[in-house]
Formats: sequence, C-alpha cells, structure tokens
Amino acid sequence: MVRLGAQYTDHPAAEPPERSEPAGPAKSSEVVGPALIEAVEVSAGYENRRDRTRLIALRDISLTVRPGEFLAIVGPSGCGKTTLINIIAGFVKPISGVMKVRGEEVVGPGSDRAMVFQDYALLPWRTVERNVEFALENRRGRVPKPDRERRIADALALVGLAGFENSYPHQLSGGMRQRVGIARALVGQPEILLMDEPFGAVDAMTREAMQAELEKIIAKTRQTVLFITHSIDEAITLGDRIVVISNRPGTIREIIEVNLPRPRFDERNDARRSARFGEIRGHLWNLLSGEALGATPTPATRSGR
Amino acid sequence: MTRVVPNGSKGTQRAPQLEAITVSRFAPFRGAAITAVNLLVFFVLWELIARTGFINPLFFPRASEVFSALYRGFEDGTILPQLTHSITNFLIGLAISAAIGIPVGLLMGASRVADLILSPYVWAMTSLPRVALIPLLILILGFGNAMQLTIIVLSAVFPIMVNCMAGVKTVDSSLLRAGRVFGTSQSEMYVKVILPFTLPFVISGVNQGIARGLVGMLIGELLGGGGNGLGYLLDRAGQQFDAPMLYAVLLLLAVMSVSLIQAMRWLEERAAPWRDITPT
Repeated sequence: MVRLGAQYTDHPAAEPPERSEPAGPAKSSEVVGPALIEAVEVSAGYENRRDRTRLIALRDISLTVRPGEFLAIVGPSGCGKTTLINIIAGFVKPISGVMKVRGEEVVGPGSDRAMVFQDYALLPWRTVERNVEFALENRRGRVPKPDRERRIADALALVGLAGFENSYPHQLSGGMRQRVGIARALVGQPEILLMDEPFGAVDAMTREAMQAELEKIIAKTRQTVLFITHSIDEAITLGDRIVVISNRPGTIREIIEVNLPRPRFDERNDARRSARFGEIRGHLWNLLSGEALGATPTPATRSGR
Repeated sequence: MTRVVPNGSKGTQRAPQLEAITVSRFAPFRGAAITAVNLLVFFVLWELIARTGFINPLFFPRASEVFSALYRGFEDGTILPQLTHSITNFLIGLAISAAIGIPVGLLMGASRVADLILSPYVWAMTSLPRVALIPLLILILGFGNAMQLTIIVLSAVFPIMVNCMAGVKTVDSSLLRAGRVFGTSQSEMYVKVILPFTLPFVISGVNQGIARGLVGMLIGELLGGGGNGLGYLLDRAGQQFDAPMLYAVLLLLAVMSVSLIQAMRWLEERAAPWRDITPT
C-alpha cells in the first residue's frame, strides 16, 4: 500500500485488510506497489584479517520499501541494523545480494539519500546555519549560493530552530542538536531519510517531543524514512511497518504492519493508548525479549574466502 | 544550556533566557592577584631562609642577590645579547619544525603508504634521547649556530609530526560518514572536515614541540660550546661559582617557557572555541 499524503488529513486512509499479524514472517512478495528500496538477499560482514574471519552482520535480507513509507527497524544491539542502513546509504558494500534504490544498484552515497546520526555528527566549529549549509555546498548536490539562504531558513523553521542560526552545537542541548541534524538532512530535499537511532542519546521527555515533531515534519516533507531504534514504543509510534531483526547474524524475523491512524500524536486520539498499540507492543516484546536474553556473543562466523 | 521546550502545537523554541547577576569588579583579576601574592611570599621566604645562613650561600644565594645579578647583567650587557640569541634561535627552530612537522604529520595521517614508510624513522627519532645526537652533530656541523638550530629542530619536529598524524587518524567516523552523505569530494573532506578537526591536535603538537625545543636549545648551547645563548651563560656562571647569575638565568628561562606556553594556550582558545564544553 502506498501511503498518500491524504492520510495526513483529518480522516485516516482506508485501512488495508488486517494482515495475519503475529502469524509469521511476512514475505516481501506480498508488497504491492512500486518499490523505492529493494534488498535482494543482502548479506554483509566485516573482515578481520588477522584472525582470517568474517563477522557476518546481516544474512539474506530481502526487503522492499514503498515510496513514502515510514519503516521502523528494531532489534537487539549488534544485530546489524546500522549495517543495513549503511548499505542503503552506500557506505558498506554487501558481500552478496543486491541493494537497489529505484531499481538501480547502490554503488555509493547519493543526494537522494540523507542521514541523521545518533551522535548528531555536526561540525563543532560551524554554527547551526553553516552546519545545515554543509548539505548544500559540496560538490555533489551543490545548490547555488543565492538559493541556499532561503532553503536553510526553511529547514531551520521546519525543525523549530529559527533564532538559533548563529549558535554553535556545543551551546545546544542534545535534542536541539539533533534538530540541526534533521534540518541538515532535509535541506537537500532527499527522497530517502535514513535515521540511525536519532533519538537514542536524548532524554525521555525530549525524545517524545522529538517523535511528535518528526511525525509532523515528515507529514509535510513526505520523505521515505528508515528509522532504526532500540525502543519498541518508538517503533510502533512512528512506523508504518516495523522490521524486526534478530541477532547475529542479523536476519529479518518478522515484518509487522502497524495500521494505526495518523497523526499518531493526536491530542484527542493518542495512538499510544489504542488497543492495537498494546497488541503490537506485546507481540514485539515477546519477540525481542527472547532475542535479548538469547543474545550471547557468538564467535565470528568462519566463512570460506 | 538551553533546553528543548515542546510547547504544544507549534514546534518553536524559546530563546535562552539571560539574567544579570552581580559579580565583584575585581573578579577578573583574582587569579592574577593570587599569583602575585603567591610569588611574593615565595621570594620573601627564599630571602629569609637564605639570610639565616643554614645553607651554603655558594649554591643558595639570597633572592635579592639574584635580582641584583639579573639587573646588573642587563645593565652591563652580559645577558641581553645572549637572551636575544637564544630566543631568535628558538623561534626560527620552532618555525622550521612547524613547517616540516605539520605537513608531514598530516600526510602520515592521511596516507597509509606514507605512514608505513615514514613511521619507523619518526618513532625512532621521537624516542631517541636528543642528547645522544650532540657528538654527531658537532662532528658534522661543528660548533655554532647551525648545530644549535639543528638540535632545536630535531627536538621539536617529531612531537609536532606525531600529534598531527594522530589528529587526522582520530577524526570521528560519523563526521566522515556525514561528509560522504552530504556529497564532499576528497579535497572538500580534507578542507572542511579533517583539517578543522585536526587543528587542536596541531596546536597541542606545537605545545609539546615548544617544551622539547627548549630542552634542545639548552643542550645545544650547554654542550655545543658555541659561546653564546642562555645555555652558555649558565655554563659560564657555573664555572665561575657565580650562583646569583645561575639563578638569574634559570629565572629567565622559567619566565620564557611559561610565557610561550601561555601564548599557545591563548592561541588554542582562539583556534578551537568549540572545545570549551568542560572548562577545567
């Protein structure tokens, strides 16, 4: 199902038929509509030349992401979530399988994909404004100088940072720094927003506020979002679908359709108090608590090379 | 610190609230005043202890004698030319060290090949006690300025090099990823991410270079037998049992190195204001 902008108007879009939700792993062939991102049996690993081993981080990941979708990715630490997002970003090459964006194989980073980092990754010697400008001034995706100012101002206004243009990152709180990170990612108008535990380092109160704002922002800008998180609640609150990745090597355990109306942070009808929310929460909790307890560190998988 | 204030419907932020507080007018000078009193007490105690005569005045002159030796030395022209010689030599040596050490260090950080080729020599030279080189340098360069300058450069250049290399190698990996996500070319990555990140390392390298270079300067002048510089003054005062002059030169050296280090600290604060997160 392709999420349309109409979903953000007063009435939620027609609910798709209930999926056999806890019944087992969803197959990627179920997905209808054109795929924006398509992973075909992607495996990835990290070589340790001294031990002559390769740690398999991801094994045979097949996944389709529809345009405009908000895909939350949950799993225990070290399960390869970040590797998955790094492959899509073009930092990591899979050892087998293909990652495609709009039908073309990913060979490196591109202006159609932007990233928000857990540790913000802001340039500490630049002001807020100049940090956002960073996304517009480099060789790939350069925007002519006169156009930049307006776009930077728009992006800063969008994330609620108007008035902080000339502050330095160290003068801002964690939540505000991440707003800068989000503004920088959005200012280049990418099609895909990759978010690697963006709210993992901010306090709980700020985190909820940021989630609500992210939902609003994305409703306006309509990016396709891949959002990595440790938090079950965050995944359900934000995601259209939730991909559950299991531990070492990372494989897709299950894909869950959330089917909660948007906006999720609605004062009258908070999605977090709905029965459906609790249902998914319980299901995810069962899946992941097993993972967390069984997450014994396994030795590097020896792989013929 | 400003906090995120989610205020309902509109996601706007309030500007940080600043309030005036009352601070004594003398607060900025407190540190300096404490230091001044501290030093005054130190010299008075020195004078008093020396006057009791418990310690042989041959190696423990009174503070007043030291200051008068210093004054006389400046007046009759024994100190000033030597001081100028040392400072000029040192600054030239430091400039040469920075001009060689910074680019080579950056190169070693950036290029694995350069690192592999150069690092055995750099590490050997970094750990080798500099004094060991003096006989060889005298053999090659003879007594005099060339030799003194060389030992300063050899002392200062390697800490600068090693720090610059470390700076480039420790750039946050997420900053590098951010650079790639947002479309930097190779050269943009260096100019906009790696070099600014490395700047504080360069400065701390130069700081260490100063400390090491001063040692190099002194051993060059003490052992090089060139007949000039503060080291020569020390050597001569020692041979003439002129304890007040010895102490006077030591005092000068202390002032010289402290002011150099303070100057660098000042520069460091200018060059990397974003590092003021935790003032210690």
